[in-house]
Parts: sequence; C-alpha cells; structure tokens
Amino acid sequence: MRSALTKRTVFAALLSMLCIPAVIAVNIVFFDDRGYYAAGLAIIILSMLPFAFAFEGRKPQAREIVIIAVMVALTVAGRAAFFMTPQFKPVVALVIISGVALGAESGFAVGALSGFVSNFIFGQGPWTPWQMFAFGVIGFISGLVFRRMSASIGNAGAAAPFVGHDESVRLGWNVRAKRKKERLRIALLCAFGFVITFVLYGLLLDTAALTMFTSEISGNALIATYIAGLPFNLIHAVSTVVFLAFLARPMMEKLERVKKKYGLLR
Amino acid sequence: MALVAVKNLSFTYPERTEAALRDISFTADRGEFVVVCGKSGCGKSTLLRHLKTALTPYGERAGAVFFDGRPLSEVDQREQTSRIGFVLQSPENQIVTDKVWHELAFGLESLGEKTPVVRRRVAEMTSFFGIQEWYDKKVTELSGGQKQILSLASVMAMQPDVLVLDEPTSQLDPIAAEDFIETLKKINDEIGVTIILSEHRLEGALPRADRAVCMAEGRVICEGSVTGVGRALEGMGDPMLSAMPAPMRVYLALEGAGHEGSAGSADDSIVADVPKTVREGRIYLERKVGANRAKEAVIFRPDRAAPLIAIKDTETISSRPDGVEPFIAMKDVWFRYERGGRDIVRDLSFTLKGGEFVCIVGGNGTGKTTMLGIVTGANGYWRGKARVLGLDPKKATVRQLSQAGLAALPQDPQTLFTRNTIFDNLVDVAAAHGKSASSEEIEEEVRRVCELTDITDLVGFHPYDVSGGEQQRSGLAMALLARPKLLLLDEPTKGMDNFFKEKFAAILERLAADGMGVLMVSHDVEFCAKYAERCALFFNGGIVSEGEPREFFSGNSFYTTSANRMSRGIIEGATTAEEIVEYIKTM
Amino acid sequence: MSEKNKAYRMADGYDALSANESAERWSVFEGFHPLLNYLYFAYVVIVTVFFLHPVLLAISFASASAWSVRLGGAKALRFGLIFVLPLMLVATALNPVFNHEGVTILGYLMDNPITLESILYGVCAALMIGGVILWFRCYTSVMSSDKFIYLFGRVAPAASLIISMTLRFIPRYVEQAGRIASARRGLGFDVSSGGFAQRVKNGGEVLSIMITWALENAVDTADSMRSRGYGLPGRTAYSIYRFDARDGALLLVLCALTTIVCVSIFSGTVNMGFFPLFSMNATSAPALVAYVCHAVVCLSPFALDVGEDFVWRSLQSRI
Repeated sequence: MRSALTKRTVFAALLSMLCIPAVIAVNIVFFDDRGYYAAGLAIIILSMLPFAFAFEGRKPQAREIVIIAVMVALTVAGRAAFFMTPQFKPVVALVIISGVALGAESGFAVGALSGFVSNFIFGQGPWTPWQMFAFGVIGFISGLVFRRMSASIGNAGAAAPFVGHDESVRLGWNVRAKRKKERLRIALLCAFGFVITFVLYGLLLDTAALTMFTSEISGNALIATYIAGLPFNLIHAVSTVVFLAFLARPMMEKLERVKKKYGLLR
Repeated sequence: MALVAVKNLSFTYPERTEAALRDISFTADRGEFVVVCGKSGCGKSTLLRHLKTALTPYGERAGAVFFDGRPLSEVDQREQTSRIGFVLQSPENQIVTDKVWHELAFGLESLGEKTPVVRRRVAEMTSFFGIQEWYDKKVTELSGGQKQILSLASVMAMQPDVLVLDEPTSQLDPIAAEDFIETLKKINDEIGVTIILSEHRLEGALPRADRAVCMAEGRVICEGSVTGVGRALEGMGDPMLSAMPAPMRVYLALEGAGHEGSAGSADDSIVADVPKTVREGRIYLERKVGANRAKEAVIFRPDRAAPLIAIKDTETISSRPDGVEPFIAMKDVWFRYERGGRDIVRDLSFTLKGGEFVCIVGGNGTGKTTMLGIVTGANGYWRGKARVLGLDPKKATVRQLSQAGLAALPQDPQTLFTRNTIFDNLVDVAAAHGKSASSEEIEEEVRRVCELTDITDLVGFHPYDVSGGEQQRSGLAMALLARPKLLLLDEPTKGMDNFFKEKFAAILERLAADGMGVLMVSHDVEFCAKYAERCALFFNGGIVSEGEPREFFSGNSFYTTSANRMSRGIIEGATTAEEIVEYIKTM
Repeated sequence: MSEKNKAYRMADGYDALSANESAERWSVFEGFHPLLNYLYFAYVVIVTVFFLHPVLLAISFASASAWSVRLGGAKALRFGLIFVLPLMLVATALNPVFNHEGVTILGYLMDNPITLESILYGVCAALMIGGVILWFRCYTSVMSSDKFIYLFGRVAPAASLIISMTLRFIPRYVEQAGRIASARRGLGFDVSSGGFAQRVKNGGEVLSIMITWALENAVDTADSMRSRGYGLPGRTAYSIYRFDARDGALLLVLCALTTIVCVSIFSGTVNMGFFPLFSMNATSAPALVAYVCHAVVCLSPFALDVGEDFVWRSLQSRI
C-alpha cells in the first residue's frame, strides 16, 4: 500500500477533468441544459471510472485486497449497526481512517465500495453513485492530507509488562509526552472530519437531491435545501467527529500493526 | 523417488533468537500419507509452510526444499499453485468468497482456466466429495466441518500432486474431524495424491497414515512407519507417546518398545503387530487376556471411588450431609429462543456443588452450550427453577452474578482480547474485579495466575502473536482473574495438544480442590473420562445419564472412549489406556 | 432481552435487510443472462433519468410500478405508498415554489409567480424520481450479487472480488459481535446494563475486539488466496451463466425496440421543452411507434411473468 500517488492515478484524475466539460457540453447541446441531475450523474460516474481503472490497472495484491475488503465490511456493518439512528453513522469516520492508514488510492476504494455494498443492504437507488463518489473522495482526500499521520499515531507505545515501579514512571513520562502530541493530531483529524462530512458529503448530496427535484438551480433553492438539510448534516458531521475521537487511535494502531506484521509496507 | 524432500532446513523468525526449525530433513514419496506430529509450538506449521513458496514466512533460512527433484525456489508459482495444494487450519478464515461455486472455482480462475474447463473440474470435484447440493449455497450456510471440506474440494479442483494440511481438524468437533480425515484417506486411496498432514488429534489420523514424523522443539525426533515411531517414542520415554491412539499405548506399555527402539531411527522390521485401531486393539487384547478373561472384572480408580449416580438421585446429592447450598441447582428447566419456537433445553435438572469438576458431553446441537447460557443468565428460561450461586440467573444482573463468583471462558479466546499485550488484558480483568486492590496487589495476582497457567514468558506479546493453545491459556488466565467460585468452560480443549491438556487438567483439579465449582461442556470424551469427577450426557435438550466417569462411560456403548470400546466385553469398566494396562499388569 | 436473542435479532435484521432476493417473488426475467438483465436496467434507468418526456416517463413509471408490485407484493405496495408517493408529491410541489420560469402564470405565492410550466416540470421530475426508485427496487430483486460480480468480474476483477469478500465478511462480523458480547458477559462486563457511559465503553470494547479479530484473521484469508494462485497473470472469471438462444432472441428484440426509441429521441421525433413555454411533439404516427416500442420494452419482464403464470396454470390443469 503506498501513500504517494502513482502516475496512473494522476493521469486518471486529469482524464476525468477532461471528461467533465465534455459531458456538460453534450448536456447543453442535446438536453437543453435542463437535465441537471442526469448531467451530474454522468459527471460523477465518469470521474469515478479513472480511479477504478487505476486501481484495477495496478493489480493489487492479495493482502491489500483483503485489508480493503475488511475495512469495507466493517464500514458497512457499522452503517447497519446504527440503522436506528439516522445520520449518526460511523461510515465517514471509518473511510477517513482507511484513507489515512492505507493511502489515498485505497481510501478511495474503501469509500466508493462501502457506498456501493451498503446499498446491497439498504437498497440501490439513484443516490448510490453520489454516495460512492462522496465517500470515495473523502477517503482519497484524507489519504492525501494526512499522509504521514498513520504511523505516528499507530506507533505510540504501550508500557512494558512487569517493569519495576520506577521504570514504569519513567516510561510513563515518555508516553505522556507522546500522547499529548498525538491528541493534537487526533483533534486535527476530527476537525477535518467535521468539515469534510459537512461540506463534501452533506452539501454534495443535498445538491444532488435538489437536481432531482427541480429544473432550475437558483440561489434561493440551494439555500433552502441546505437549511432543510442542516440538522441532518450537523448530526452526521458530529457523529464523524465522535467516531473519529474514539476510533482513530485504536484503529490506526491496529492497522499499523497488521501492515507491519504482514509485510504490507514491503 | 521422493516427491517432496526437505534437506537440513533451519529457520529463524525475524526478531527471535530461538530457531523455529533446526536442521530438519524428511521426505514424502509419491502416494504416501505422512502425518507430522508434535506438541503445539514445535514448528509443525512453520515446516509445512516451507513446502509452498507463497506461504513461506519471512526470516533467516538455511537448507533446501525439493519438489519433484527440483529446488522449490525453481518451481514457478503457477506450477506450485496447481501441484501443491495447501489447506489451512481455520475453516472460516481460508474461505475467500461468499458463494460455494465461486470458492470452488477460485484457484482455477487464478490459473487462467476457461469456463468450460472450470465447470468440468468443479463438477468432478463436487461429485467426488458428494457436495452437489451445496453448489448454489452461501458459504455462511455451511457448518464448520462442511466449510473445511469445501476448502479441501476447492484445492483438489486444481488437481494437485501433493496435499499439505496444517492442523485442518483442530477447529472441528470429533465427528466432523473424523469425516474429514476419512475424506483425506479416500483422496489418498482413490486418486493417489500424496498427503502431508499435521495433527494433534492422532486417534483418527495415525491409523490411516503410512508414515509419521515426530517433532519437538524444531527438530525431528523420530521418523518412520507409524508403529516404528510408536516404538521409538516408547523407547525414549517421550511424552509425545500420550498423544498416540489408545490401542498403541496399551500395546507399547505392555510389550515394551522392543529391542531396537531408539531415537532417530525407527526400525520397521519388528512392527506389523502393533495395533492402531480399536479393531486391532480388540484382537490383541483378546489374545492377551485369553482364557482367564474375567467378564465381571471392575477396576476402581483408587482416588475416585464414587457410586454411580442416576439422574433421579440428583436431589439426594444436593442435600448431602455437608449441607452447603449447591453452586448450580436447576430443576425442570425449559428454554426456547423465541415464543412458539422449539424448546432447546427441556426438562433439565442438574446440580453442581463447590469443589466439583463436572463435564457435560454430547453431540452438536443438543443444547449443551445453550445450557451454559442459562447458567450465565444470557438465556432466560421460561419454566422451572434455577439457582446459581444463590441467585436466580434470570433475574440477577451480570454484575451481581459476576460478584457472586461466576466466570465463563468462551470457546474462542479471541473474543476476549481487548488490549495490545496479554499482560494488559490480564490487568484489565484483574482491576475490574479487584477494585480496592492496589496496583502492586493486582500485579502480584496477575503474576500468580500467569505462573499457574504457564504464560509468564508470553505476557509481553500481542495476543495474536502467540499460538492457538497459548491464546487458550491466556483466556483461561483472564477467566481466573475474574476470581470465580464457579467456572464455566465451553469446549476448552479444542485445539489444545495432549501435553497442555494434562497440565490443564491439573490446574482444574487444583482449583476444584480449593473449592471452586467447574462445569465444562465438551466433545472431548477422552479428556472427560480421564479427569472429570462426574460426567453427564446431554441429548435432545436434557441430561439423559449422569455419573462418575468410569461408570458413566462403561455404561455407554458408542459414545465412549476408544479404550473403553477396545476393552468392552474383555475387561469391563476400563475407560482409559492406563486402566487397561493397570488391570492386565495386576492380573 | 438476552444477549443471544439480540444476536439472533441482529442476524435476522441483517437477513431481512440483505436477502431481498429471497423475500421477493421469482421473476422469469431473472432466468435470463445477467448481461441482458443489466442492459435492460441500464436502458430503462438512463431513458428515465435523462429524458423528461411526459409520455415516456408515464410509461416507464407505470411499468416500474406494475413490476415492482408483482415482485414484492404487499410489501412493495406499502413501500410505494409510504415512501415513493410522498416523495413524488414533494417533488411536484417543490419545483414551482423555487422555480419561477415560464410564461403561463397561474397565481402568486409570497410575491413570486407560480407557473404552469414549472408545475409540469415538477410532475415530470416526480415521475422520474418515482420511476427510478422503483426500477432500482426491481433491480435489487433481480440482480443478485452473483450476477453483478459475474458481469464486473471481467471489467473490474479486483473490485468485484472485494465486493464478494465483503458480502462474506459482513454476516461473519455480525455473528462475531454477538459472540464477543456474550464472551465478555461471562467475565462480568455487560453491554446491556450500567450507566450510559459504561454501556458506551463496553460497546466500544466489543467493537475494538471485533476489529482486531477481523484484521488479524484476514491475513489467513490473504494466505489462502495466494496459496491458490491469486496474483498470477491471466486470471479468468468463471461464470455459472450461459448465454443461450432464448437470451439472444430477447436481446435482439429489445435492441431493435430500444434503437427505435433512441433514434426518435435524437432525431427530435419525440421531444419536449418546458421553458419558457411547454412544448411537446405532436402525436404523429412515428411518435406513436416510439411510445409503443418504449412501452413494450418497459413492460416486457412484467409481461413475461404474467405470461408464465398462464402457462403454468394450463400445465397444472392438465396434471
């Protein structure tokens, strides 16, 4: 699993940027610029394709595939486990953690596939591509932004067993200093989680919903939609913060351990 | 010519000082069935993983492995994938996809076979194994034993020349394990595939094997025909002997190893007559006991003379003169999972007193584990009466029961590990159950329990970095740190080797001597016969017979130990190999 | 409620959520090749989403409703009435409130004009939303994960394998979570009692144990994959499906019909515009042909099902 971007991914990203204007052009010419929803759908599907090609193209190894599958399954199970609390879900938090721990590309894969597979359970619908896109991009960006964070959080040591009392006090100091730094990093991650959930997931999906409902995306309509969605998006963003605060450190510790133990870094 | 040959192989894991394998040499010829045995942690798995490059662990290595006359490193991946089949230990973990058909095709897909070829091979394999009905199922719908057969079939679909199996039956119940070994024998006999199998449950595997390799501490201590290895072990007085099938143990104890038995070389010339199966054992015993065979002979174990307790008498036990309230008292208890559902536990009456070690045996799905759930309060019964440590488990909270001294060890110790070192896990439990204790006292107690369960050297490790048996011991230590008066054990000997079983029994006996009540649910008839104070047979939701183990098992005809089956009608009442030997010696 | 019962309920819940395949009635269309299933849904969803033509939308919506009720019975009907219908009403109402384009002013709402065009657009959008949701419902019941994985196993082998593995992992995780909770109960840590903070803490511990377990055991799975040659070049995708003559025939018919519809759309035979003034093609003969073709395509699975009912009934009456 690499944290830096491969050339393939960069190429893929550029390609998708070229596709998007083309779609908009087709939309204006053939559909009289009215099918916002259709155009949006086409754009996000097109922009996901290059990531898919990049992922398939580099032929991920068995261990990487398994770890991604585990993270997707955990995310989907997490979404299912909190079925009784709408919007209060660990999905985004887990996707962010995957992005940070496994790198941007795997983060995208975990996000997009979680969006897809969870709809095997919750029902596929016109929202599926949007969710896939939002989760995927969140995983991708997290991987880019916090490239070096995983190792520094995941490696905070535990005190050795059966050490003498003095020794453990000394170790304790060391660990405490480390922990303080680490807490700062997690706070940063939480803040990032809040913003990205609110903006990328919340606003993007609200906009998508609006394009389904109306022919004219006016400022008023947007504002009204965002206001209507505000409580939901807030809950969602707060839930991401809560889950990140609880899960980030232990999850990254576990992921780092597995990566190291099974030579995923090799 | 040898199909697989290991020459002077040594191996050390990174960041470990002790070598895992030391100068190992052995061969397996075409069509041979080889069993690799040894106590857990002796290096069996490490050795077997060296037989396929894709699974070879990282570390320092010397020596070489040859496959079909070529160094393994020169056999390309594609050829290895198809010709060397590997079945791993856990039935759950090694299945990759969600559907049976997909799992069966997985290896062939990797090899790049076209759909018609895959279809034919898969069809052949499902017919050979008789698993056609599974084809469209989800993997989740299969039982553990069925999953393991599926793994075997999906490897066999690639038509390997050699099958390497790393303790494939350790997670299975005895009947499924027996089925699995039987299937292996069928593959060996009818297709001629070479089989290299590592096992700790040798009763089933050894009689079917051509050769055995016995390992200890990373070395091969003896190798040769099965009977030869038995003799060699007897000659060395090696503790590995106790893992051999009962008929072999009886024979070797009575006849001795023979003059040639010595370490390293097992002489095959004096074999033939060492019995390996119950059938052979009976023939041998008949001959041995001969004319002066005493039908009524009963051997009492000197330390365990208790009368047979029929189920009706449970009342009388609970009011035995010592008069203390029993730890568990159940009367006519019924339980079902849902309203209008089937009763899983029906009309169950059972008593257990402090200081008793009781085993409940019985087949799968008879409700044994459900009964444990009633004791812990997880399953609320709907009819009858139950008291556990003076509390009604249905009404008491988990905390109350726990404070009264109830602790349960689950089947899978991996369900318990929260923290990154075994030590931290132990401290967590100890601290939760000894709130007022100082940290020194807690550490002291942890240290004491670690010594008792023999894990002192392991406490610094991550729980997943130690072997299955060691995880089991760590789990036991956690349960003991909950300071139980009543300890419930669900299938604790699963995956334990015979050596630790002895140690484990000693621990339980000591705890019972200190007044702890121990209730164990198990498939392991041999273990229960040897060590339990009382056994009960669970069937169809209730206890159908109950008694002191020797009486209990000699009353059963099929569901009993192999020593008992072997001596039935020849020597009455013997349930272990040791008892048979003792009887014949004193005759 | 006991731990075990809870675990059972969770498992039931999962099944109820996931196994819509088994809950739904079998459709003849399911028996056709997955490629055909997939192309069919691609066509109906794309035409519904991209082309807001009132007649085509009405046909599409009506067909989707009929088929989804046929597949899902009372449950589907309830879903339609409780979820889809209100959503459609909202969509119809929402557009005129925010969108004031159009020349036919019907009245004013808070100083803003409400136009006929905008209402018409709202109705079409509602038909689109309702149609797509119902089509997806049918999709879920017809396209099992097997079919999806088969189709995409060739295009995106890694992703489709991940999906297959995920579908195996999820029920395992649900089950394991139940086991962990009851194991911890045995040591005196209870998930279902104590104060809120204590419960959250205990719940968190269960999750933590499960995640460790999942990650650590996954390595065995990877070993098993490598041992069976995953990663060798030239991996193929095995399929349990065969493209037979019947598939070919239906594909041919559907291709011909959909081509007619598409040509009509792109040539402008079938067209519409909402703003500033609503306009639509005249009901000419070519337009009628396009409508009929679209209707035949949309209704074909439903018609196949109903047809089969008759066949079976006549077969059974002969027994």
